[in-house]
Amino acid sequence: MAGPDLRLSAAVGLGKLVGSASRRLRLGGGTTLPGDVARAIDPRVLAKLAASLTGGTVLVTGTNGKTSTAAMLRAIAGTAGWRAGGNPSGSNLVFGLTAATLDRADRHCRVPLDWMILEVDELSAPQAVAEIQPRGLVVLNAFRDQLDRSFEVEQIASRLESAVNRLPPTSFWVGNADDPRVALIGAEPGSRSHRSRILFGLDDPSAARAGLPVVADARDCPRCRGELEFTTVYYAHCGEYACPNCGFTRPAPAVRATQIQLFGLDSLQLRMVDAAGLGTSISVPLGGVFNAANAAAAFATATAMGATGAQVNSALATFQPAFGRSQLATWKGARVRLMLAKNPAGMGENLASLATLDASPVVAIALNDGIADGRDISWIWDVDLEGLARARRLTIVASGTRTRDLVLRLAYAGFEPDRIRVCPEPGAALDALAEMATPGVPAPALLTYTAMLNWQRQLVRSGASQPFREAV
Amino acid sequence: MSSTRLVLGWLYPREMNLYGDRGNVLALTHRAERRGLHLEVVMIGLEAEAASLIPACSGFFIGGGQDLDQVTVAEDLVGRKGPSLTTAISKGAPLLGVCAGFQLLGSHYLTQEGTSIPGLGLLPMHTVAGSERLVGNLLVEADPGLGLRAPLLVGFENHSGRTELAPGVTPLGRVVRGGGNTGHSGFEGAWCGNVLGTYLHGPLLPKNPQLADWWLGAALACAGEDPELAELDDSLEEAARVEAIARTMHPDRAPRLRLLGRGLGPRGAG
Ligand SMILES: [Zn+2]
Repeated sequence: MAGPDLRLSAAVGLGKLVGSASRRLRLGGGTTLPGDVARAIDPRVLAKLAASLTGGTVLVTGTNGKTSTAAMLRAIAGTAGWRAGGNPSGSNLVFGLTAATLDRADRHCRVPLDWMILEVDELSAPQAVAEIQPRGLVVLNAFRDQLDRSFEVEQIASRLESAVNRLPPTSFWVGNADDPRVALIGAEPGSRSHRSRILFGLDDPSAARAGLPVVADARDCPRCRGELEFTTVYYAHCGEYACPNCGFTRPAPAVRATQIQLFGLDSLQLRMVDAAGLGTSISVPLGGVFNAANAAAAFATATAMGATGAQVNSALATFQPAFGRSQLATWKGARVRLMLAKNPAGMGENLASLATLDASPVVAIALNDGIADGRDISWIWDVDLEGLARARRLTIVASGTRTRDLVLRLAYAGFEPDRIRVCPEPGAALDALAEMATPGVPAPALLTYTAMLNWQRQLVRSGASQPFREAV
Repeated sequence: MSSTRLVLGWLYPREMNLYGDRGNVLALTHRAERRGLHLEVVMIGLEAEAASLIPACSGFFIGGGQDLDQVTVAEDLVGRKGPSLTTAISKGAPLLGVCAGFQLLGSHYLTQEGTSIPGLGLLPMHTVAGSERLVGNLLVEADPGLGLRAPLLVGFENHSGRTELAPGVTPLGRVVRGGGNTGHSGFEGAWCGNVLGTYLHGPLLPKNPQLADWWLGAALACAGEDPELAELDDSLEEAARVEAIARTMHPDRAPRLRLLGRGLGPRGAG
């Protein structure tokens, strides 16, 4: 009975072989193919490998912020002296999680690490939880994203809920109190998901917005469908809310981010206060309220894993942003800031930051409609480009495979033709940015997912930027 | 400058606004404004008092929604607002329905569980929940009866409902690429007089401005005004439409948009 697990050894051995061959032949697909093969040989390979970790697995899910939050957690793990792995490539379906775990397995089919910190796609989260039986799960938010794939926000939310319900009894989960749909998960006192949840939230009205965005996903009460009253909105539909109809209100978070200070798009500071009332000041080299929420989630999770506040602060102070999250590059002498804006919430947050926190007279937006972006680009009509047009005198460089749809949207939003530059290709768009940028002020570029890949490629090809790698 | 005032009744803007439907309302307002017409937008939601706003409207729009919302909306739409809406439409007020809003124009929607959700019954058709969703870019050759100058309509569809038209109902057009009403009938949408429904979002009206003008013309006629609309410079709309057609026909081709010109020149589409 206790003999070697031959199926597992075959899965691990052959999976690794395929991985190294595909890397050697530069075939690409190295982030999922080993997972495909290994799972075909032993469907339980991920479950078995995960069970060999000394600490366990922490899964990070939710529509926006999972890559940044998972990267923060890995950085903290390093500072705390733990051995931690992950899937920084962002390959976050079950095959990608399998490949990432397999990659760290030794020849005894064990993963000689303390933690695997894996971001997982929202729709795959229930399956990942069922297989991995993680030690912790982080649920960040539920926004509209790629509706052609995940169809509806409610469907995303119910998957998140089902992931929480599949957690083993001894595990914890970290949830966002500011997102009403996430806060409804485990709201029932006495339920298992209630006992195991640790809520985080922002708690500083000075960092709040004027109100909900023009199209918000969760302005309705997730419990009774009545209209929620928001007294504070921090980002998207996240803030302090109450339902006058059924009495559902924002639950008090155990871990709160107070004294939030935003320094443009470059950095932020906040003071985390835990359930015992202990405070820790934290600086993060990332801008925007949204990243304050990611840092709060990372703090809540890391302390549940056993890290100290000081370790969190020291790790985040020198944190390297994840792929395309506020990455600076130089193009023809001008500074360019690449920002991922892959869905209405992400784009809305970036636009709000640009309107208030940034000084560049020119901004590029690249809209692609590849499979990884979501083929449907209707969402650009839901984001508040009108607000940006009103806020500042700006020129927009329009780019991407759906440049003309974007130009039409900009024209409707109030950008006059002389404030729109049409540059479908990344190189031309970068040229236009460089030409109009103010010296010393990075010109922001908001890019959908495959547009980000194309721009990175363009920068590398021209020697303007090193291939981007996350420090693991 | 005309002092004509039109009123657009936007039905359930909170519940039925899933796929950029706000863009449809923006298109109507902008195209009216550019012609010196004043189009006021009135939100008609689930509130009991909202039904009283209907008689003053010169036309209506209803967008797409989540399944969850569709049931609540259908009850309110058919029960509480049905009579006054039907009266307004019989007087010539145009009604445009997109996606779930299109399905609500038929007699009923039969869900996967076998429940029948009633519709307004303005178009002789009904919808049955399908097992797989029809998702993707959709290209439609518009019905000649609509008299559109450039009769190719383009947008995105994302629906599990299969809409069956009763014999004799005029579809909005023939499917060139995509699923359309059922995925196999070759038809997309339906229209009859001043009622028009379609699965095309994207949103529909900014890139298919002729349909926006169809709505505005009908609303003017309903308001007792001259339905003749001044020509507009549609070069940006046209460029977006041609680009979308190119992406529909060749979704995986690397972007080669030079075809569409580089500047913001007239018509753009070379
Ligand atoms: Zn409620």
